[in-house]
Amino acid sequence: MLLAILVWLALLFVDLVRLFGLLNELESGIAKEFTWVLEILFFLTVYLFYNYSINKNSQNDFLNLIWRAASTGIVAVFVSIMINLFYSLLGDSNLANEPFLNNFFYHVNFALITVFLISSTLLWKHLILYQKSKRVVKQWQAYEIAMLGAMFFVFFNNNSLDYSFLFGLVLLIGFGIILSANLKWIPYLTFREKWKSLLFLFIIINCCGYLFYQVQQYTDRTLYVVNLTDNLFLISLFSFIFIYAVFCFLVTLFNLPTSSVFEQKLTEAINFQRLSQSIQPEESEEQVLDILVDSCMSASYADAAWLELGDLESSKGVLQERWLDSALREELSELIQNQKVAQDWAVENRPENLNPLSLRLNHNRFESILLVPLVINKSAIGRMVLLKEVRDGFNKEMVNIISTFVRQACIAVENHRLLNQAIQNERYQEELKIAQRVQKSLLPTKLDHNEAFDIVAYSNAADEVGGDYYDTFKLDEERYVMIIGDVSGKGTSAAFNMSQMKGIFQSLIQLNLSPAQFMIKANAALSRCLERNHFITASIFLINTRDKTVCHARAGHVPTLMHQVNNNKSDYLGIDGLGLGILRNKQYENHVEERTFSYSSGDVLVLFTDGIVEAKNEKSQQFGFERIRTLLEVYHKLSPKEIQSKIIDSLHGYVGGDGLIDDDYSIMVVKFSDQ
Amino acid sequence: MLTIEIQKEDVHDLLIIKGEIDASNSVMLDQKMLDLKNAGSKSILVDGSGLEYISSAGLGVFMSYLEDFQEEEIDLKIFSLSPRVFEVFKILGLDQLMSIYDSKQAALEV
Repeated sequence: MLLAILVWLALLFVDLVRLFGLLNELESGIAKEFTWVLEILFFLTVYLFYNYSINKNSQNDFLNLIWRAASTGIVAVFVSIMINLFYSLLGDSNLANEPFLNNFFYHVNFALITVFLISSTLLWKHLILYQKSKRVVKQWQAYEIAMLGAMFFVFFNNNSLDYSFLFGLVLLIGFGIILSANLKWIPYLTFREKWKSLLFLFIIINCCGYLFYQVQQYTDRTLYVVNLTDNLFLISLFSFIFIYAVFCFLVTLFNLPTSSVFEQKLTEAINFQRLSQSIQPEESEEQVLDILVDSCMSASYADAAWLELGDLESSKGVLQERWLDSALREELSELIQNQKVAQDWAVENRPENLNPLSLRLNHNRFESILLVPLVINKSAIGRMVLLKEVRDGFNKEMVNIISTFVRQACIAVENHRLLNQAIQNERYQEELKIAQRVQKSLLPTKLDHNEAFDIVAYSNAADEVGGDYYDTFKLDEERYVMIIGDVSGKGTSAAFNMSQMKGIFQSLIQLNLSPAQFMIKANAALSRCLERNHFITASIFLINTRDKTVCHARAGHVPTLMHQVNNNKSDYLGIDGLGLGILRNKQYENHVEERTFSYSSGDVLVLFTDGIVEAKNEKSQQFGFERIRTLLEVYHKLSPKEIQSKIIDSLHGYVGGDGLIDDDYSIMVVKFSDQ
Repeated sequence: MLTIEIQKEDVHDLLIIKGEIDASNSVMLDQKMLDLKNAGSKSILVDGSGLEYISSAGLGVFMSYLEDFQEEEIDLKIFSLSPRVFEVFKILGLDQLMSIYDSKQAALEV
């Protein structure tokens, strides 16, 4: 800005010096071209300043831009009028004809006009390039270059009004008209803003006209040494600013009546966006429905509305009421209920095909009504009722936009519900993981034994938690108890019963019971704990390492496999016994057996659950007892750990790579040491 | 896959089971048994020739009706079980509590 003022001062100085020379009939030796160069420099500096200053406050809205142009125009006009007033006051005095003063004021006017024109042009540029397309940007650049050319045009024709000047002028005016067709910013103004912009544009047009008239006045007089204002550049800018302002004025004026429609559409778009955004999990459905009712009311200019959830016929939960109380609402509901069309509508079998229904109403206040179903996942969750005080108040466009709103809101609600469900599921998964951890801790990590035998165990659940159970207990230094059990069913219910079994084992075993006695007591206890159709199978072994004997009882559990070194054979222990919880009375005592046998070093016991026996391969054939028996016969010389992994590996190999064993399975291997 | 068919034969209700009974479909068997009990049946014959597999949940269903049937003097007989399925009943000890026969003939003769 400072630079621009300096250049202007230089221009003023040079011209005044020349005037002085002219008056005193002295040749000042300053060429005309020098003035022109300074003039062009002035144009450029003003241009650069405004370009910078407008770009700096980039958040200019349209009204601000127009106001800037208008205010600059007002200042320029005001100064010009003041100068004229000053002269008219002076009348014909000497001072009035003082050439230096005249020239000074001429320069002031020139500067202000230039500032007004260039700043306005740059503001127009912002408006024109509001919706940038490659074509418009190119056009504008070409226009700027042409304008630059126009600045230098003065060197060619010496400011005379010849044909080349006219040709250039027509060319630039034509260019300006083409650019002026870019008025896309106008529809974005609100109704109020349009009125304001009309006012500003009116000011600009008048300023433009007045200043142009002023310039023409100067041209007619001869007392100015160098004509600065009869310049192709300035005249073209005048025309451009004037044309664009007139275009804007007219287009804004004609846009006024339809602006409310555009505003409506814009509100609808914003409402639509609000509906889509309101899916945040922390927000409730009510907020979505709240926005929905507001949006629909504003879209249809409804006078009242309510929204109810529940069945279409017997809606109970009323969530939103607008501009009516519940008494009035019930009265209206009654009226709707009495209409046959509404009844048919409400019992529509396939709610997903349901369209909003527009009805006439016999009511002293509301004359038309629109029923809109809320459909989620093919079932109606409720309805929205819009009311208007005029007859047939809902046109097709309104119904369309309302349908869209409702669809979007329903999607939002559905998403919200799904999301909550997903979160819920996530929590259940988390709970199951905890259950899994707790259940793992129910199985012993350390198995009690002494140097007389070695023991390993492994358990795998088909689901997160399972119903298999094994445990050990040390009665004293030479007597140990082992138990393996299987709870009927699987999954969570089995897991709960399994933990009961653990409690029963750990408490009963301390009573120093024999295996059969243990089973009888366990049956009695479980009879009070288990559901009627649940039972538990178990095998219990009491190992006495001093006597080298094993006392054993079986309660419905799969038989235990034993390898005896003495006859080099593996076989299942044949012993009868009824599962626990099947007979829930004293008669159970008749169904349990107990057997004691002695063992020798190298003998192996393999305890397992039916998950291993019943595991199926691709052909639906079970792994079976025989396979396990053969495996033990082959591998009995290995360590318990190795025997266990041989059996498990063989089981997995049998079931097949991807085949899942869909039951819980457990295995426990005991090997008596060679001492 | 499990199908359970009920046929009336004289005084007996014939329950023909085909397929596998596991935790997921044992409810179906439970429902049929309950229906028969409520209908006042006095003799239920279970044709197990088509039963390929029964899990502990399925055994639990039979087991849960043992006492009720005893009280109401309802006869429950199972026949023609495949050796493998019979083995399952036997391991659990149910063969001692329930009447299990080789054939329909044998079941009717008793």
